[in-house]
Amino acid sequence: MYCGFSEEYMKSSGNTEEQEPRHGELPFSFTPQCVHLHRDHELFEDGDIHRHMYLQDLYTSEVDDKPTLSVSEFACHISGCSAVFSALEEYEHHYNSLHRHVCCSCRRSLPSARLLDIHIQEWHDSLFTILAQRQDMYQCLVEGCGQKFRTSKHRKDHLIRIHKYPPDFRFDKTKKDKGIRETKRLQQKDTNMEVVDDVCESEGVCEVMCGVLSDQPEQGESMETHVSEEEAACMAKPAATEEHAGLSAAVHGNECSSTETLKPRYSYRVPSTVCFGHGSIRGFRGRRGRRK
Amino acid sequence: MWRLNKVRHKAGRQGDSLEELRLKRREHEKALRQARRDRQLVSKRLLLTEDEEQSEVTMDTTSGEQDVVSLFHKLQHSGPEREAHLKALSKALRDPSAQLTFIKQENSMHLLVGLLTGSDAQCRLQAVQCLHKLSHSPHTNVAPACLPATPYLLTYLSGQSTKFTELCLYTLGNLCPDSDAVKEKLLAQGIIPALASCIENQRYNLAVVEAVGFTLSQLLQAKDAAEKIIPMVLASSLPSSLLSVLTPDPKFGLAPAIECAWCLHYLACSEYSRELLAHGALLQCSSLLLSLGGAVAEGNREEGLELLVCPLLRCVGNLLSICPVDSLSSQVGDVRLVVSLCALLQTYIHTQPALARETAWVLNNLTAHSSAVCSALLTLSLVPGLIQLLPFSQGINTMVLRVLANIAHKKKEFCVQLARLGLLSTLCATLKMADQEMVTLSLEVLFVLLVSRPQVADEFVRQGGVSLLEAIQYNSEGEMRQRAAYLLEHHLLSYPSDCTADNIPCS
Repeated sequence: MYCGFSEEYMKSSGNTEEQEPRHGELPFSFTPQCVHLHRDHELFEDGDIHRHMYLQDLYTSEVDDKPTLSVSEFACHISGCSAVFSALEEYEHHYNSLHRHVCCSCRRSLPSARLLDIHIQEWHDSLFTILAQRQDMYQCLVEGCGQKFRTSKHRKDHLIRIHKYPPDFRFDKTKKDKGIRETKRLQQKDTNMEVVDDVCESEGVCEVMCGVLSDQPEQGESMETHVSEEEAACMAKPAATEEHAGLSAAVHGNECSSTETLKPRYSYRVPSTVCFGHGSIRGFRGRRGRRK
Repeated sequence: MWRLNKVRHKAGRQGDSLEELRLKRREHEKALRQARRDRQLVSKRLLLTEDEEQSEVTMDTTSGEQDVVSLFHKLQHSGPEREAHLKALSKALRDPSAQLTFIKQENSMHLLVGLLTGSDAQCRLQAVQCLHKLSHSPHTNVAPACLPATPYLLTYLSGQSTKFTELCLYTLGNLCPDSDAVKEKLLAQGIIPALASCIENQRYNLAVVEAVGFTLSQLLQAKDAAEKIIPMVLASSLPSSLLSVLTPDPKFGLAPAIECAWCLHYLACSEYSRELLAHGALLQCSSLLLSLGGAVAEGNREEGLELLVCPLLRCVGNLLSICPVDSLSSQVGDVRLVVSLCALLQTYIHTQPALARETAWVLNNLTAHSSAVCSALLTLSLVPGLIQLLPFSQGINTMVLRVLANIAHKKKEFCVQLARLGLLSTLCATLKMADQEMVTLSLEVLFVLLVSRPQVADEFVRQGGVSLLEAIQYNSEGEMRQRAAYLLEHHLLSYPSDCTADNIPCS
């Protein structure tokens, strides 16, 4: 019934004091404008019906069919995540749980800043790999413990023995596990961000993969997402230990939040201009690449 | 004439339960919506006498048809029973199939016209009653059959008999939409000048005014009205007559004003609406809206008020869109119109959201090019109420956000005030909405707010805005990404992004 006004012909009957001169480069285009509505416009439908009901002696002042005034829904912005919410708190919870501490390189979502830092260090930092050959680099995951270990296996044992962690603690995957999973993803032809059930199973954590690719050679936006293209782009990256180069656009986010509904998915690429790396971005970390 | 309470009484009389009534109404509404989509939305009115309303309409078609034939035969003989026969005929002609039967009888119309123009005044009245029933027919071939009567109906519009004139008018009004041939004939026969002089001469006879308004509205709704009808109407004295009866009479009720307002709406939609401006239509409609809104704000819930408010809103909305900016203040008059509009908004938001949306549209057109209006919204403390409407969808929040955007675009001081009134925190919520237009518009407003004063940027960051914009950079829509990225790069760059409320120094 309602249509947006973007197509509506707007008449601007003049200019009043504007704040700033309009520059061509600004991506902002709003200007105050009058809207003229023609007689048959959709916006006028209800009023016309009301009028004619009155003419035909069917008027009633009782609002028997209470018109349902609807409230806007909220939706997660992260492309590929099609979660929708009826309340702001639900959105916040979803975002904080799944999108806040996301590794820019491999798109994995970690539950805290600290775990994200550790993840980046251990998975994406070539310097770490080198140093770890000669010294104890693997930190204990428990905050305050401070101990470091030569290998992740040693750390795992420590976690299990000293801190009574379960042997399959979800936030302590080894790179090798990840590698297997990545291979699985590489083989995935369907790039329309399907839910990958088995991945979820093995990872445990709700891993939201954003359709964002960093460090792409091309600047433009493309609506296609192909694994092979992504691979190619990433293989071109100079980073030596980027084993995770096979970025996929798999998205998994829906099962983990109780309040989401399924909606059409996106499938496209976000230009590299968008993911940027300020030194210590809260939300998305680990980006080494340059912007633009 | 129509009284709204009469309507309900009639509906109830037929013994339908409340639920059945509701069902019927819903069905009807559905049919009307479809008709509108097909551009075929047409209504007719049936004016009944007191005793006609009392008596039941028999649904026995066969006897009705037989009645019609036999009555027709009887009527061919003059005599004192003629009036009674005509009355009976009028009753019988309420039935659609009887209507068809009648017009199929040879010379039936000729007879009726003869009685319409004869020397017996009572017979004239009854004859016009019969014609009126015929005009109400759902069958489209009945109207052309009534054409022989129309020049006389038009002539009688300058007569003095109220009931008679009313019937002529409603009959003509019913005939208008049925076929182009009928319309052409009526125009050629001078229906517009006839309506113009009728309403002028009978200005104080509100029942007649209402009837003229109805008939004119039927003409103005024609598909090709813009070609001939509207220019003719605008050239006549009709616009000023319509405007002069716009203020509802407290005793008589809203009905005449309703009809005239709808006529003005059809005129204001057209490409010739500038003529209406010249007649002072914008000023008149604005001041009436002002007082109506004021009444509503004070708790007046008069039945049918929205039937008048709706066309007035549309007139004001469309006339504003063609009004030259420099004459805006003289054409709108009292800037406190915004108070009324906001009152109407709040009143209709839950009961009639579509009307609330139209009100918001008018506010947009008012605020688009007027600093004075924007200033008034702020000074009169109307902005918080508007901000509270931003959760509501179906086009209401986008329109209201446009209004707020209009205010923000006027002056930096306005931006600061808007921020202080809580717009920033609300934007933090609207930026998360599923509606793309809302998000894009929110970014536009945010841009203007951020450039107004550094403190606004501080506040936005304090409310966690940076991470919100970062999230938007991952949105599928380029429009949103570009805007969010720009804001982060150009206006929030100096903030380390793990800024929280705790570590930003209060300015």
